Amino acid sequence: MTDHLQKEVKRETGEGTDLWRVILAPTIWAVHFLVCYVAAAIYCEKAGRMADLLPVRLIVGTATFIALAGLAAVFISLWKVRGLSSVNDDYNYAGNTPEERHRFLSHVALMLCVLSGVAILYAAFPALVLEVCR
Amino acid sequence: MKNEMAHRHGPDQDDPWIRAAQEARLSKAWETPGGWRYWSSVNNSEVGIWYIVTAFGFMLFAGVLGLLIRTQLAVPDNEFLSAETYNQVFTLHGTAMMFLFAVPIFEAVAILILPALLGTRDLPFPRLSAFGYWCFLIGGVFVCGSIFFNAAPSGGWFMYPPLTTKQGGIGADIWLLGLSFIEVASIAAAVELIVGVLKCRPPGMHINLTPLYGWYVLIVGGMILFAFPPLIAGDFLFEMERAFDWPFFDPERGGDPLLWQHLFWIFGHPEVYIIFLPSIALLAMIVPTFAGRPIAGYSWIVLSALGTGFLSFGLWVHHMFATGLPSISLGFFSAASEAVAIPTGIQIFVFIATLMLGKVVRSVPMLFALGALAIFVAGGLTGVMVAVAPFDFQAHDSYFIVAHLHYTLFGGMLFPLVAGIYYYYPLMTGYMMSRRLGVWAFWLMFAGFNICFLPMHLTGMLGMPRRVFTYPGDLGWNTLNLVSTIGAFVFAAGFLVFVFDALRPKSHAEKASRNPWKAGTVEWALELPPGAWGARTIPHIESRYPAWDDHSFMRRYDEGRFYLPDAEEGRREALVTSVLDAQPVQCMRVAGPTWITLATALCLAGVFIFATYHWWTATFISGLLTLCSIVYWLWTGTGEHPEKDEKAIGMGMTAPLYISGPRATGWWAMFITMTGDLTAFLGLIFGYFFFWTVHDQFPPPDIDGPGWTWPLAAGLLLCGSWVLTYGARLWNARGDMLLFRMALLAAVLLALAGIGALVMGPLAHRMDPTAHAYPAIVWALVLWTGAHAAAGVIMQLYCLAASFAGRLTPKYDTDIWNVALYWHFMAFTAFATTLVIGGFPLVS
Repeated sequence: MTDHLQKEVKRETGEGTDLWRVILAPTIWAVHFLVCYVAAAIYCEKAGRMADLLPVRLIVGTATFIALAGLAAVFISLWKVRGLSSVNDDYNYAGNTPEERHRFLSHVALMLCVLSGVAILYAAFPALVLEVCR
Repeated sequence: MKNEMAHRHGPDQDDPWIRAAQEARLSKAWETPGGWRYWSSVNNSEVGIWYIVTAFGFMLFAGVLGLLIRTQLAVPDNEFLSAETYNQVFTLHGTAMMFLFAVPIFEAVAILILPALLGTRDLPFPRLSAFGYWCFLIGGVFVCGSIFFNAAPSGGWFMYPPLTTKQGGIGADIWLLGLSFIEVASIAAAVELIVGVLKCRPPGMHINLTPLYGWYVLIVGGMILFAFPPLIAGDFLFEMERAFDWPFFDPERGGDPLLWQHLFWIFGHPEVYIIFLPSIALLAMIVPTFAGRPIAGYSWIVLSALGTGFLSFGLWVHHMFATGLPSISLGFFSAASEAVAIPTGIQIFVFIATLMLGKVVRSVPMLFALGALAIFVAGGLTGVMVAVAPFDFQAHDSYFIVAHLHYTLFGGMLFPLVAGIYYYYPLMTGYMMSRRLGVWAFWLMFAGFNICFLPMHLTGMLGMPRRVFTYPGDLGWNTLNLVSTIGAFVFAAGFLVFVFDALRPKSHAEKASRNPWKAGTVEWALELPPGAWGARTIPHIESRYPAWDDHSFMRRYDEGRFYLPDAEEGRREALVTSVLDAQPVQCMRVAGPTWITLATALCLAGVFIFATYHWWTATFISGLLTLCSIVYWLWTGTGEHPEKDEKAIGMGMTAPLYISGPRATGWWAMFITMTGDLTAFLGLIFGYFFFWTVHDQFPPPDIDGPGWTWPLAAGLLLCGSWVLTYGARLWNARGDMLLFRMALLAAVLLALAGIGALVMGPLAHRMDPTAHAYPAIVWALVLWTGAHAAAGVIMQLYCLAASFAGRLTPKYDTDIWNVALYWHFMAFTAFATTLVIGGFPLVS
């Protein structure tokens, strides 16, 4: 009986994650991508093709830092939900309750954080190796 | 006891007489019109079939064009087609395959099967689907027909200027206007499908229980809203240049052809995924069935589909690697193009894992599914190759690209689609397709495809450029081309076997038993062949595979023990539920057969077709007729006051018959449409700032701008109209009718004054849109905003009229809710336009 109760308590993960929160991480990727691309495109067009890329590299670096920090914040809050969801090692999220729906969306959002993080690092990479606008 | 049950749970579903009476009423309500009235049908089962047959018709037409291409290229120095005809043939082949087959077939299949997958009887806006279909049919016939008059577009399926802006004839206009018209159908379908998945799932189907196909449709619908509108904006600019000489893409007058490439590929690359995802979605339904187990990693599919949807918007410049952009720009897009392989790969690994964990049953759909995976993996890998910019420089515009794109499209779209047709054929017709013919079709198609396109990688490596109508015999391309041509005809033979099997008379064919593939998902609860009403009852869902998990599910379904087992008032009804947890919020009356959809599509076709020939009076009259038919459609077909406030929907629940605001489907439809509209507007704003980026000084110092006074006045007036419209909604809700009507009237006047002020800006400063790209883009923004404000005025007047007619009351206020929502977007458009054209020159 106590076991059962503990399980129930452990599964209390709330119901808060909605579709907007799910797309938060890829939206951070999109904004980061646009900031980097637009900054580089405008700078190289205005400064000429032989211009030093340093200002763009700084912008990309800063944007990447902010974006990853944002992702980390989202990630940590979602990680808690995942920790609380582990009952019977079941990560199928196939239950028919609002709570299970919340755990499912949290899991999807969490994994999207990882994917977005990888994509952000990919996008930042060219700024590490290129030095002029050419 | 029985009475008590009846009181609590509605009618006694144990009584076969009661059930028979219910079925008779349902049958009557959902009856398909007979005779020539059949064409006034709007139900998804009819419109979906028309849509699929039409899309395949265009596919066969474009396929014949493909065979003509291969025939011409079979031997060197061939004179089968002239260069000009060849240009028309390959342009129309690409255009028709993309715009008339690949995208519409997604809409077609989704319209047909989505209601069944969601256990419901129809999508929320059946008339919108029918309208979209008629637009598609008319536009498609117009575009394809042009080749018989030697007037087809001939500038390639992506219409690059300056070639296509300088070309004479009406080919490019047919492309621009014909396809813009068809894009109306795509956006209509996106609205229908997004609202369908979000708001019309059966009760209990929490978003984590939604069939994967539903997830994919939702994601693709969202992608359409951000991908298609930039092309509409681009088409608008392009046609203004062709028809009125506004030089958006003319470098001599400050324009830039690259702007078109950006707008086209912001559409064009996500479009590849718009085609790919819904077809892969069919595999996500097929694979678990034949593996005999739930999909392994449901949430992984959802997240990777979402991730692909997002990342696909960061790829467009990889079509422009060879245009001389700075290497850092290429780097960003190269990185994203590599990153998108991750979620795409996850989906494929999930399918493979499901097959490995299950016990696979051999079948024709599975054969096509496996063929699809094999071909797609090859296409995906060459995709990763061409995503690397230096490799792309070498392969660009060669037959390597032709091979790559056909591998992705056949593996990612055509083969899964054919698998889906084999799989869902019994659900639609009640008959099985032949297994023997299916195996023949598969091997002919699979072998023919590879014989045709595998050598093209080599032909491209050997330097053969795409889009050449012939080649000399001493370049080492002869054998490869001949092999490709033979493969193309083998493929065509296989495809004809499939078409024959699908269309042949079925009097001797095998009748499908119920749930013939032993699937677990809810659509297979339908009786075969399905009655006109579709679902016997709208089920209460408790798991992803109810037919596997709940042994009493089919019996309870047949006995009508779930929701809406009856049509007491003889009306077509469906349930509207909440977005995340699918709690019933409304019993919605769904529209029935009508001619107004066809009439409106015909009027709108007039606008686009007459504009192609620059017959402006006829265009204007058609526009007016379109407006009248839309108003008639809205006035007679929407906002009905139900005869009672709520009704029992079964399972002891009741639901209201009328709701408005964010819980209602109409509000969502407006929200989604306007999101797409906003994207198109942002495409225009992008154009303005693109010109600023590429010019040393923009606005150019020697050209007068619209000043800041008129734009400021316009912005204030239009935003004032927005505030009053919003206020009108609140006053109406409070029952203050006088204030409501006064506010609406004042809003109309302010909006009209705002339109005047907006036009006065460039007019008073004598800005000539043909002189330079700067006045042209200012006028384009003014036209766009002015036209939207005019539409807003018509909506305000509609509400005013509805109020006086007693249709719009504090209780029945959906019209003003939706119009107020339109004006939120309108206010942003007005604000951004006036800020950009009036404010930006002051700071730049």
